[in-house]
Amino acid sequence: MDELNVILTGVGGQGILLASQVLGVTAVKEGFNVRVSEIHGMAQRGGAVISHVRIGKKVYAPTVLEGKANVILGFEPLETLRNIKYASEETLALISKEIIVPTGFSTQPVEYPNFEKIIEKIRQFTEKIIIIDALNLAKKAGNAITRNMVMLGALAATGILPLKTETLKETIQELVRPAYVEMNLKAFELGYAAISK
Amino acid sequence: MAKLKDVLLEDSPGKRVLLLGNEAIARGVLENGIGVVTTYPGTPASEIGDSISLVAKDAGVYMEYSANEKVAVEVAAGAAVSGVRALAAMKHVGVNVAADALMTLAYIGVRAAFILVTADDPNCYSSQNEQDNRYYALLGNLPMLEPSDPQEAKDMVKYAVEISEKLELPCILRTTTRVSHTRGPVTLEKLVKPNLKGRFLRDVKRFVMVPANARIQHKVLLKKMKEAAKISEESPFNRIVRKGNGEIGIVSSSAAYNYVLEAAELLDLNAEILKLGMTHPLPKNKVVKFIQKHKKLVVVEELEPYLELQLRSLAKDHAPNVEIYGRMNKPELFPSYGEFSTRTVIEALAKIFGKQPPANFREINEKYADANKLLLPRLPILCPGCPHRASFYVIKRATGGKVVYTTDIGCYALGIQSPLEIGDILICMGASVGTASGISKVIDENVVAVIGDSTFFHAALPGLVNAVYNNHRFVLVVLDNLTTAMTGHQPHPGTGVTGMKTPGKRILIEDIAKGCGVEYVKVVNPFQVEEGVKVLKEAMQHPGPSVIVFRAPCALLVTAEKRRKAEKIVPAEIVDEKCTGCMACVKLIGCPALVAKNGKVTVNEALCVGCMLCAEVCPYGAIEKAGKEAQ
Repeated sequence: MDELNVILTGVGGQGILLASQVLGVTAVKEGFNVRVSEIHGMAQRGGAVISHVRIGKKVYAPTVLEGKANVILGFEPLETLRNIKYASEETLALISKEIIVPTGFSTQPVEYPNFEKIIEKIRQFTEKIIIIDALNLAKKAGNAITRNMVMLGALAATGILPLKTETLKETIQELVRPAYVEMNLKAFELGYAAISK
Repeated sequence: MAKLKDVLLEDSPGKRVLLLGNEAIARGVLENGIGVVTTYPGTPASEIGDSISLVAKDAGVYMEYSANEKVAVEVAAGAAVSGVRALAAMKHVGVNVAADALMTLAYIGVRAAFILVTADDPNCYSSQNEQDNRYYALLGNLPMLEPSDPQEAKDMVKYAVEISEKLELPCILRTTTRVSHTRGPVTLEKLVKPNLKGRFLRDVKRFVMVPANARIQHKVLLKKMKEAAKISEESPFNRIVRKGNGEIGIVSSSAAYNYVLEAAELLDLNAEILKLGMTHPLPKNKVVKFIQKHKKLVVVEELEPYLELQLRSLAKDHAPNVEIYGRMNKPELFPSYGEFSTRTVIEALAKIFGKQPPANFREINEKYADANKLLLPRLPILCPGCPHRASFYVIKRATGGKVVYTTDIGCYALGIQSPLEIGDILICMGASVGTASGISKVIDENVVAVIGDSTFFHAALPGLVNAVYNNHRFVLVVLDNLTTAMTGHQPHPGTGVTGMKTPGKRILIEDIAKGCGVEYVKVVNPFQVEEGVKVLKEAMQHPGPSVIVFRAPCALLVTAEKRRKAEKIVPAEIVDEKCTGCMACVKLIGCPALVAKNGKVTVNEALCVGCMLCAEVCPYGAIEKAGKEAQ
């Protein structure tokens, strides 16, 4: 592997920054060079979130080149579509089907586009699409807030990561508050099982 | 690898850890015996101060959230002239506030290291402008370093300490969002315990800038900068990277350098790169040699043509035949606005040198344009339960939207969105007060100024004193959510907590207003809508400036506190029999937790924190706390 480029995208509050950090910290542990690029501040207040994670020997730029993502980890369908320009036909789009309707316009209810139509547009970039019910799996693990760990587990199960699953779990244990470790690891396992079966 | 606090305090030289650029700067503080760190929070600089605040007690560092950036620079300067190493961190526009102190601090210099960190924000991710602060180094005659990644950010703290102490001058460390907010591997070095005990040695000619002394000190400064130029010539941070055949040379710095490196590889470009890390003063001889060595030269830098201007001037004298490309002659390839990406640089270099880009960007654009048709915008909004939403609703009710609203820097700038639409002019920290004064002087309608608590302490005081003194008639509404919310919940003078996480004297905004001579001062809970409307209407009748403090804690703090105490968060609930589907709640307050569907309103329980503002505005009493009926 020369490099692995992951785009994580969704809505502020879905735990995308922590998921990116888990990938980055694990990659450093395993001796890779890493760049994780985040947006803080104004952009996080319920707005669209994108995080770039680049793992490899020679990664310099903090952001992924358009058309060069290996994986798009989409926490929300519309946000996956918003960042689909990072994909090529080689890209794996791993998408959570949790829909979050943009709320900036609640006075005039907006019509959220049909899910199938969104997937259809994504398919114009890549056929390699996996859809996962991350929200429900997270609830099964104990709380909706663990959906980021479901997504990481699912990503690990695809086998695309150059990282050991055990090291990922070890990093989760270190970065998550002690009281929530068990729940987060369970979410990770549920995500993993959903893809590997 | 563990929690940030442990990583920052870990004394294991040689260990590689993942750090955010800002955290790497904080680690640099701890590895270089810097004893005093001051800041005013602001994206993308905030995590520098926050990281130090986390470990200050354990590391023996004094850290403070200063009232504003000017004070932060002065406090740090006070330590540095007394022999204690200091660092002041701020966002780019914060340097504007601090500039008065900084420009003359250059004349007197320092006795121990002084580092000023400016974090610039190309693309205005969280800022009101995207000014290029490298010009401050030119303006003030100060040495400047520009890191490209977290490792270099930490290394440059060490280097800045050396330069600052060698020259006895403040040194600027300039990052951008993509340096401050990028995580990368960083190799730890030994921790160095700071010396916090200073001594102020009197030297009136050097430290008291009356004109007679300033004239002399200006010359001293210019002499120091000659020394700085020598340092820059030999600096290991100004170096040639990659081999070329003498045809093409590229000059770059900061985040842009990373894109250049990748673009050169991906285009298989036979180009040498001069990476500049110390960008003021420039290493003129090194640069001239580099220009002379090549036939074509490209300057790749974000925002202003800071390097390009200087390079062109050197080339004119020393290598007039070299073709130079940059934003001054190719603005269509290198825009002066926004941030760059690898794509920007690939497209520019491919065009200049007739190369094939590694991806078909045109095809990507076309396909994306088609996908784009389906997209809806998703903008940042006030959180569910945000007290600002209640304040804005009160303001709108009391004023009927028929006044001019001047607003300020913070979460509440989001008040401009529908349906609240509070905010007609926004310039900079504190400007709500000054602009309200001017506007009220020349228009017939009422003016309501809106400002946050932290921003009030930061920059409203002179404006308020001015308004009282000159009798400007407007209502100043202070949205006091008891924290600095936008930047990550830092304390401020109104919170009673310091950066050392110790109790501090709590200063009340209403006391300040009264102390400034404001005659009408009231404190209201914005969730008490009727009371708020009454008070605001009364204030608008007042013949001079008036101040209303709307006080209620940030919703994020309230829910975090509840979660910590394992208290249940009880959401609102629509009583179906009473709800007529009038949509008043949805139309009046624009809360993301209220969802209108098929003529009915539902509450998104995952989002709702139970602030019950919606119940206040419902004309039919159809909204209650969930589970109330069952009781």
